[in-house]
Amino acid sequence: MLGVAVTATTREIEREAQKLLAMLALGVGDAGTYPSAAGPRPRTAEAVRAAAAQLRDPRQRLLAELTAGAQPTAAPASAAPTAAAPGWADALRRTGWGPR
Amino acid sequence: MAQQPLYAGFDLGTTNSAVAVFDGQHTQVIRNAAGGAVTPSVVRIDRAGRVTVGQRARRFLEDDPDNTATEWKRLMGTGKAVAFPAAGVSKRPEELSAEILKALRADVADQLGTAVERAVISVPALFELPQSAATSEAARLAGFARVELLQEPIASALAAGWRADDDGTASWLVYDLGGGTFDASLLETRDGLLRVVAHDGDNFLGGRDFDWAITEHLAAELARQTGVQLERKDPSHAGALRLLRLAAEDAKIELSRSPTAQVTLARPLVVGDRELDVDLALSRATVEALTAPLIERSLAVCLRLLAGNGLGPGRLARVVLVGGPTLSPGLRAQVQARLEATAADGLDPMTLVAQGAALYAATAGLDGRAAPTAAPQGKKVWLQYPPVSSDLTPHVVGRVVGADPPARLRLERADGGWQSPDAAIGPDGGFVTMVSLVPRAASTFRLVATAADGAAIAVDPATITIVAGLTIADPPLSRTIGVALASDHVQVYFERGAPLPTRRSFTHTTVETIAAGNPDSVLRIPIVQGEFEQAHLCRLVGTLEVRGVDVKTTVPTGATVEVTIELDRAGCLAARAHVPAIDQVFEQVAHLLVPDAAPAALDAALADQRRHLMQVRTDAFRHGLRELIDKLGAVEGLLASAERDIDAAHGGDADAGQKARRTLIEIDAVLAEADLARSWPELDGEAHEAAIIATGAVAAFGSDAERKLLDEVLAALARARRERDLAELGRQLRLVRRLSSAAWNRNPDAWTYHLEDAASAIHEARDLPAARKLVDAGRVAVAAGDTDAVRRAVKQLWALLPVDAAARKKGFDSGVR
Repeated sequence: MLGVAVTATTREIEREAQKLLAMLALGVGDAGTYPSAAGPRPRTAEAVRAAAAQLRDPRQRLLAELTAGAQPTAAPASAAPTAAAPGWADALRRTGWGPR
Repeated sequence: MAQQPLYAGFDLGTTNSAVAVFDGQHTQVIRNAAGGAVTPSVVRIDRAGRVTVGQRARRFLEDDPDNTATEWKRLMGTGKAVAFPAAGVSKRPEELSAEILKALRADVADQLGTAVERAVISVPALFELPQSAATSEAARLAGFARVELLQEPIASALAAGWRADDDGTASWLVYDLGGGTFDASLLETRDGLLRVVAHDGDNFLGGRDFDWAITEHLAAELARQTGVQLERKDPSHAGALRLLRLAAEDAKIELSRSPTAQVTLARPLVVGDRELDVDLALSRATVEALTAPLIERSLAVCLRLLAGNGLGPGRLARVVLVGGPTLSPGLRAQVQARLEATAADGLDPMTLVAQGAALYAATAGLDGRAAPTAAPQGKKVWLQYPPVSSDLTPHVVGRVVGADPPARLRLERADGGWQSPDAAIGPDGGFVTMVSLVPRAASTFRLVATAADGAAIAVDPATITIVAGLTIADPPLSRTIGVALASDHVQVYFERGAPLPTRRSFTHTTVETIAAGNPDSVLRIPIVQGEFEQAHLCRLVGTLEVRGVDVKTTVPTGATVEVTIELDRAGCLAARAHVPAIDQVFEQVAHLLVPDAAPAALDAALADQRRHLMQVRTDAFRHGLRELIDKLGAVEGLLASAERDIDAAHGGDADAGQKARRTLIEIDAVLAEADLARSWPELDGEAHEAAIIATGAVAAFGSDAERKLLDEVLAALARARRERDLAELGRQLRLVRRLSSAAWNRNPDAWTYHLEDAASAIHEARDLPAARKLVDAGRVAVAAGDTDAVRRAVKQLWALLPVDAAARKKGFDSGVR
């Protein structure tokens, strides 16, 4: 989202966020999208603010550093349990799925 | 137009207001015509309709209280008007605030010769959305072209931080006790960036409560001497109590400087057919004893805030004390001792907020001077840059407007000490460059543009100024905001702490038909604020309404509604609902008012909560839930406080009524939590089960990132179970379920399960044939392996299943899910 390295300092993150917000406000350059593992994604001012805020929080920054190298990819190849697997159908409702 | 910028900050206080300006180098508190740094927030309207404000109006509080208003700030956003019988007019709180703002604005104009058009106005951090909206309205009425609202604690910290020389990382606590509100904010400075970590507070605790505590003591003393007991619930005692309270306030201020004070009134108090002479002695020790529980209440908020952020007493670099009541030596000592931190010295607690607001106006680029009307000199350039920056090399981004832009542009610092490399101007007219600031000073830069052949091209603006100083991060949202659903759950739009401004959209479906042309047909989309999953425990702050009379054609049940909520930097809310089926947008947010606090309704709510408490307590004793019994003890105290305020509301004190309303909501939340605590074994079992399910789902379908996250969340869940922390358990349970669902979503068969689950309940569908068709269509899609078609069928099926009427009623009659 911010295009900063995992090792970026607080100041570098703030500077990059400030630049991106300014570019988005004026519609300058290609700030409106950013590259991701799933292809180009739209970049909005709200998302930039949220990303910068997340990295200001030391705990969330640590989490972001941990997960930076493990971005989600396509569905993993693990074998899916079958519909008849005991407990799975009921699991849906228990995990909060469903309309009610 | 003056050469130097003029950034103005207004502190619109409950008891006193102030204005300060900042010119890029220094802040200056503007004194009023009487020479005071603060202006009493008092408005009087006489028989001829003449409006008097400030100190001159305050003098009439004793002699003409009916036509002199004060302390309306706590009524902001309630829609409750204040009457001025002599002139036969009534004014809304925002109109009264506008009078104060006009007076302060005139003071700036008198002294600096500039009519401030744009400014920053401070508001308490825990102001509800309607209260913030009313403040913006006051500014509009006062003639400001544009204002930004700023939370008071941020303003205080900014003012205190501006004077700080430390560049390291440190935690501060802003203890802001105003006339009517208390805010505690935890802040962190790191590399010149000021970040609000969290805040907490009590919207109904302030110096006014201190004054009442002293007044009630004086009334008791007077009763002992005269046998006449003054009571807040008796409207005929209101006048005498008001006089006694003013005397109490004066004595409290005197006791900040001396150990004893004498409370005397120039004239006897008239109570019925009795005249009571008042001459009572008051000592600082007595006042400290009377106010200690209130200070303790504020400290409990501070300690809760620290604990919630992994800090304890002694871990703070400084405490910033703000507000008139913090001038009290007893309070200062008690706060410093309990928080084990030293209060910052050399700061004026009465004007700190206004100074901070002025500094913030600079960071927001809100120059108070009128925009120049002269024709632009050269090619217009739109620019984005931080007017105040802790980063000494910030970016300047620009865009040249119109055809034939220059080829290159550079910035030259006016002191001649630095210039940027030439920035190439792109085909869209845009450029990005960095500038170098002089530390702790204002740096002015000339924009030098050249054509491809090197010829100079004039641009407008020709210069910009950036001040090197402490900057603040985007302000965080103080409370979670979402939409109440018909199931009485909340669809969270913004979590507490989300950076502002922000905007988010969600798609909902209607649970009832909106009949075109029918005035009784209204679809409500309630917007709520609070930290609870159940909508009825949160506060309703506005309702988007889609009315039958406004829709072009009838909107059927199950139709899609795209709701967008936006919040500006001060947390002011705007919302709109787009109904794609009829391609109409609805933006009218109705009832953006703090709910009414009629004494009769409060009586009923109090009786109801007493019954609830008795029920919960009986259960708690029966099951030996000691922790719960302790918590319920606090509820007893809150009920007693609510009862006192309801008494005062019966006596005509609308503010006390609002306070009682808030207390009752707090009690409701504690009792709801107690209900949940009773079901701890059930919730604990649920958490255990969810953990097992999530582990399976994430192991089978999750990504590496989700597995790592689940490990963290499960550890937190285990901790919450170990510590029997109900709120935390609920939060972690939500996260576990979210991760579980995200992973489960990747299961190619997930929607098949949903289809069969919904199919098992179609006997409840409001259109059974349609539901059967959808189930059949879904099964065909399953056989054909068309997952998208299965998902579509399931979503339409869900829309046909009914919502629980009782839950919907509790969820503010929400018309969406």
